[in-house]
Amino acid sequence: MVTALADHAWLRTEAALAARILAVNWPIDTFIAVNPLGGLEDLPFDEAVTLIGDAFGANGLPAERHLRTAYQEGRITDQDLTNALSRRFPELLNRAPISVAGRQVSAVAVALSDLTHGAPADRPDRTVTLSERTAPAVADAVDGHTAKWCAAFLDAGQAAWAMPGRERGFYLAWRDLAGRDRSLPGRVRTRIRALPDTADAAALAALTALGVPRSAVRTYLTTHLTRLPGWAAHVAWRGEHDGGIDVLTYLSMRLSYESAFLFLTSHRSTRGDPGGRAVTGGVPATTAERAARVAAALGAGRASNSELAAVAEILWTIPVTARARLWLEAFENSYRDRLLTSLPTSPAATRKDPPAAQLVCCIDVRSEGLRRHLEATGDYETLGFAGFFAVAIRFQDLAGGGASSSCPVLIMPRNDIREVPAPGEEARAERQLVGRRALAGAQEAFHTAKDDMSAPFALAEGAGWVAGPVAAAKTLLAGPYGTLRRRVLQLVAPTAPSVLTIDQGFTLDEQVLFARVALTMMGLTRGFAKLIVLCGHGSSTENNPYQAALDCGACGGHRGAPNARTAAAILNRPEVRERLTGSGIDIPTGTWFVAAEHDTALDQITLLDPHLVPAGHRAALDSLAADLATAGGNLAVERCANLPGAPRRPTPRSAAAHVRARATDWAQVFPEWGLAGNAAFIVGPRSLTRDLDLHRRVFLHSYDAEIDTDGTALETILTAPLVVAQWINCQYYFSTVDQEMFGAGSKTIHNVVGGIGVLSGHNGDLQLGLPWQSVGNGRQLIHEPMRLFAVVQAPLDRIDRIVAQNTVLQNLFHNEWVTLAARDRPETPWHRHTPAGWTGWTTTEGTR
Amino acid sequence: MTRDQLSKMTKLEVVVPGAAAPGVRALFHTIGATGFTSVSGVSGLGHHGYHQGRLLFNEQATLELLITVVPDDKVEALLAGLRPLLQASSGVMFLSDTFVSRPEYFT
Repeated sequence: MVTALADHAWLRTEAALAARILAVNWPIDTFIAVNPLGGLEDLPFDEAVTLIGDAFGANGLPAERHLRTAYQEGRITDQDLTNALSRRFPELLNRAPISVAGRQVSAVAVALSDLTHGAPADRPDRTVTLSERTAPAVADAVDGHTAKWCAAFLDAGQAAWAMPGRERGFYLAWRDLAGRDRSLPGRVRTRIRALPDTADAAALAALTALGVPRSAVRTYLTTHLTRLPGWAAHVAWRGEHDGGIDVLTYLSMRLSYESAFLFLTSHRSTRGDPGGRAVTGGVPATTAERAARVAAALGAGRASNSELAAVAEILWTIPVTARARLWLEAFENSYRDRLLTSLPTSPAATRKDPPAAQLVCCIDVRSEGLRRHLEATGDYETLGFAGFFAVAIRFQDLAGGGASSSCPVLIMPRNDIREVPAPGEEARAERQLVGRRALAGAQEAFHTAKDDMSAPFALAEGAGWVAGPVAAAKTLLAGPYGTLRRRVLQLVAPTAPSVLTIDQGFTLDEQVLFARVALTMMGLTRGFAKLIVLCGHGSSTENNPYQAALDCGACGGHRGAPNARTAAAILNRPEVRERLTGSGIDIPTGTWFVAAEHDTALDQITLLDPHLVPAGHRAALDSLAADLATAGGNLAVERCANLPGAPRRPTPRSAAAHVRARATDWAQVFPEWGLAGNAAFIVGPRSLTRDLDLHRRVFLHSYDAEIDTDGTALETILTAPLVVAQWINCQYYFSTVDQEMFGAGSKTIHNVVGGIGVLSGHNGDLQLGLPWQSVGNGRQLIHEPMRLFAVVQAPLDRIDRIVAQNTVLQNLFHNEWVTLAARDRPETPWHRHTPAGWTGWTTTEGTR
Repeated sequence: MTRDQLSKMTKLEVVVPGAAAPGVRALFHTIGATGFTSVSGVSGLGHHGYHQGRLLFNEQATLELLITVVPDDKVEALLAGLRPLLQASSGVMFLSDTFVSRPEYFT
């Protein structure tokens, strides 16, 4: 006999399984790019796409019209499409030609014509709730009340009044308040007041009342979770982190509302599956209709029945739903073939002397531009490494506020690092703190008065004379205003030299471990330059809720300076270097590690902790600073080429001024393009990519297979940086292919709610993913949606062993979320990784 | 202390992917388990081959072992919650009799 407790346990698991379809939705101030379909990565990509079509009514593949545009522009060729067709439908190659309009046409040509001329497929239809099917007004009412109570309960300090009863947990607080909600019909309120004391029991009762059979419960819960996927996803995140609410309590509320409303409207289901399929899209084109279009495109305006039948027979083997998949594959391989062909096929010459300096940047695609431009200025070597520099820290700055976790979200930070005044600089540090507190106090007083119910009028009278001109200056003179503000900040709170509490945060053993891991992973165990710069990154923008999306993903959506400073301090310690010698890593005493930060919105690189640099390195540092400024200016010129409203032929100086102005413009919705365009992840030495312009589309992780004999470094790269890169790639991909479902819509109508996310307008669902202005402009796509292409230069058997031991990699590679190509050495050919083993890249894709 | 002085209970050991572990812990809470032990980064050989243990910079991709001990009358509810989970994803579960000296800690 099934007990009530067993029913509750079963329902909780069903809810957890249904919630796998949800994205991870962090609070927006720590926005991290994730695969919104991350819970489905154990499924093949195609199955996951079908599943989200059923569940969300969402597109998981790029719209055919966008890829047809790429075809018309020559970025996808007939050969790319033919290769994709050959791979998916190899039987086409063996079919005899047919006669159309008096000429012989191959089956592949028929399929190509369908790809380029067929009517695009509509959005898929989602499985719906009972109220969606029978009483749409009820479904909308359930959503409206859900959004209202979620915003109230999940508020993170933005609201002036907290939700009463919040401390009792969401379900009890909601039941109490909703039972008295005058916007509900009286009989609905009565039913809510009569709900059981636990969310589990309420959900079970509602499911019974709605007539949902046990076998259909998971699907039904999914239909409710996908009505407002943004709120549901944030609830799931909150459930795992802060408590008070979880997916099941959220579902209990929705199901209870639905049950109560439908009780009034006599739309209750009495038997069978209450869900169903919405018919929102059009009816897919029939094979006959497709054949007529193809025949016309092939020149047979009045095709005979036999001609149409012959065309239809070919098209019948290619479902219309497969077309978007073929386009995607052709698009991806077009890029991938070009990338692989561009990589050198001979070993790099070994240099005898170290370069003037080495710059280690984050793997972020934006670093590729900086590295390329810096290398062009002089004798510099650059490397790529995850921007947290292997130190997973909780960082507290000089002001002593809350500590932030500065590491990938894949791991928990275990080392606390504080910023403290440098020895002898306590007085200057105090002045800085006093100044910052004064500015923060003034700002808080202004906003408190603005938000107060009675003070705004007095505020307008008292401060309007200055607030108005300031607002006008921020709008019309963004550049000068930003400069003025920086100067005022320096005047009121001048920056004081500081140091980090390395010894309190790490044991010496930990410092040595992290130093060895970092240097081995990036392949920097010899040939040390006199100066080695560890360059984190961040982005300075104004009035941008998505600020964290532009900061460093490897640092948990924070700026990378604290990690760069921590790692540099560790690597400069004589005790650490002495212990590293035992591992065969001999850092010369004349080598100095310097921390830096690349501001990706400003194209400025700031060298940090200059007071720590030995006198003997200052001249070299000044020279490097000058070259970094030159590189930043040239990078700004490059970026201006596709920033909306930027000058088209700027000088480095005017480009730098322009990006500086747009970064301080509070009305600017395109402060920078972030990681738009990301497409590949290359693991190998810089010699693999040094002389190439990769157009800021490639994550670059340095790796030297020769010094990683046991494969530990490669395993770490593939199971951490690659995973983060794939999350970023999927975030951009899905935000682009279905902006309505997985993106955040236009920034111009965003409103921050509860300090946790944004709404489009003033109500509705919490937005997921990236806003349109991160992936497109007008109707044009800026991000090219394609899945990540991983390129590794390492022994194939080593890669095989690593993949065989790690399910996460099997999921990514075998389920086609990521395509992996590899070669042992520069002079050996590229191979594609498949579940059945390696296949030569050229034999599948053909050469260009 | 002899075995006769101990109280019989049921021990559940379950190995699941790290991402599924929060759901299992929530399930333990739902059925009234008073505690659990978790070991992250476990490695081993199973139906799907060898699973790597601890990874340096990824704590989510590894397997987690969760252990709890409950009175016999809660086993049914525990299994009702775990069965669909293990049907839907990879993982393994071991159920066995166990004996404890302080039963009040587990009820």
